Amino acid sequence: MLVEEFGLTPEQVQPESRLEELGVDSLATVEFMFMLEDKFKLKMTGEPVPIKTVGDIAREVDVMVKQQGISLGDGGTAS
Amino acid sequence: MHRVVVTGVGALTPLGGDADSLITALNQGHSGVRPLDTPWIGSLSSPLAAPVTVSVEDHFPKLRRLALDRVAQLSLLATREAIAQAQLDFSSEAGLDCGIFWGTGMGGATTLEHAYVESLLHHATRPRPSTIVMFMANSSTGQIGIEYKIRGPSFTYSSACSSSAVAIGEAYTAIRSGRIRYAVAGGAEALLTQGVMKAWESLQTLARPDPDHPETSCRPFDKHRSGFILGEGAGALVLEEAASARARGATILAELVGYGNSTDAGHITQPDAAGQARAMQQALAQAALSPGDIHYINAHGTGTVVGDVIETQAIKAVFGDVAQRIPVSATKALHGHLMGATGAVEMVVALGALRTHTAPPTAHLRHPDPECDLDYVAEGARRLATLDTVMSNSFGFGGNNAVLIARRYCT
Repeated sequence: MLVEEFGLTPEQVQPESRLEELGVDSLATVEFMFMLEDKFKLKMTGEPVPIKTVGDIAREVDVMVKQQGISLGDGGTAS
Repeated sequence: MHRVVVTGVGALTPLGGDADSLITALNQGHSGVRPLDTPWIGSLSSPLAAPVTVSVEDHFPKLRRLALDRVAQLSLLATREAIAQAQLDFSSEAGLDCGIFWGTGMGGATTLEHAYVESLLHHATRPRPSTIVMFMANSSTGQIGIEYKIRGPSFTYSSACSSSAVAIGEAYTAIRSGRIRYAVAGGAEALLTQGVMKAWESLQTLARPDPDHPETSCRPFDKHRSGFILGEGAGALVLEEAASARARGATILAELVGYGNSTDAGHITQPDAAGQARAMQQALAQAALSPGDIHYINAHGTGTVVGDVIETQAIKAVFGDVAQRIPVSATKALHGHLMGATGAVEMVVALGALRTHTAPPTAHLRHPDPECDLDYVAEGARRLATLDTVMSNSFGFGGNNAVLIARRYCT
């Protein structure tokens, strides 16, 4: 999704990639979390979670998916 | 007082992607007016508009676009052209001594309308998180600073159709007084959305479409005029303190010499000849010019029944006997009414007239109105042996009048 929606390259989107260095600022991160909510029908807790890397987003989504008992349809983890 | 010169111009308009294409298209009488190609156009009584048709968003990476409304994209592209021509790099020390003076009528109209439609009609859980920062009036101003690292004072002006003329006038004032050495000044508008166009339609100021030749529907100063065509675009100037521009060997395009700004204090939409005349007189006085020194006027000339008569009266009040001898043109007939961008775009047009020694025409003026009896250059672009000083008029709803005077630069 980061590749499709934000125009990043697959090489850039690695678990350890820092969002800031990819040009994904705090606004874009929120935008992306909203996109994930809509796509996977998730509900983020709204609690502030430190999200610095691509991996942080994936972990956060995995936690939400488990808590909310949702199947991710198109496979694997959110990253 | 410092002298102030123009060292860069940029324009993104319904007549093309840069300032040169705008000037060429105007002089050739090409119209940017066309039926808008969008699914909701049937909800309007007229499909006509003057959209920017060159690609805009393709110039920005997807990630950057997330925070850029169309109005900011137009702003950045016009600014880029002006800065490139001026050959300045504001990421250096110069950026600390450069101000941003930007005008817009509505700001990010597309973003705001989208957020309303999604939230109120489609019951989306929330609008996009960047909604606020994309529609706020100063969004373009901030984005210009970010893109070009301009770090001096910044100002956003919103006085409807005079917004960007005010921006240029205030930038000129700031350099003239010594506050800053450089300025990026101009404005942008992108309001061709369904809700905004319907609101304009409701105000009864838009031109009736000509059934056979829709591109000629806006006819300033013509007896059969019926209003203007809404358009979008952006215009930008780089202004610079003259000695500094000379010292760095910049190509000087023109000198700004006068700016007038007045308020009608009469009616929120009805223009006032006395208010307009005061602004023209102020500009002349500041430039230390007499009426006979002006060689071309780019009129506000929207093509409304009332507006064109009032402006004609105001010009006659200021210029007296010489009024009939000055070529006056209303280029909105061809590029549309670009609202907050129009003052800057028409200043680019006036500077183009200076450069090419050619007064652009008032297009589609075939049946003169006896109450509009000046020389409106109706026959087509006119080459003039003497064209050294130009005036550009911009008058906005709310009763603001802004007038700029530029002349060929001589040391």
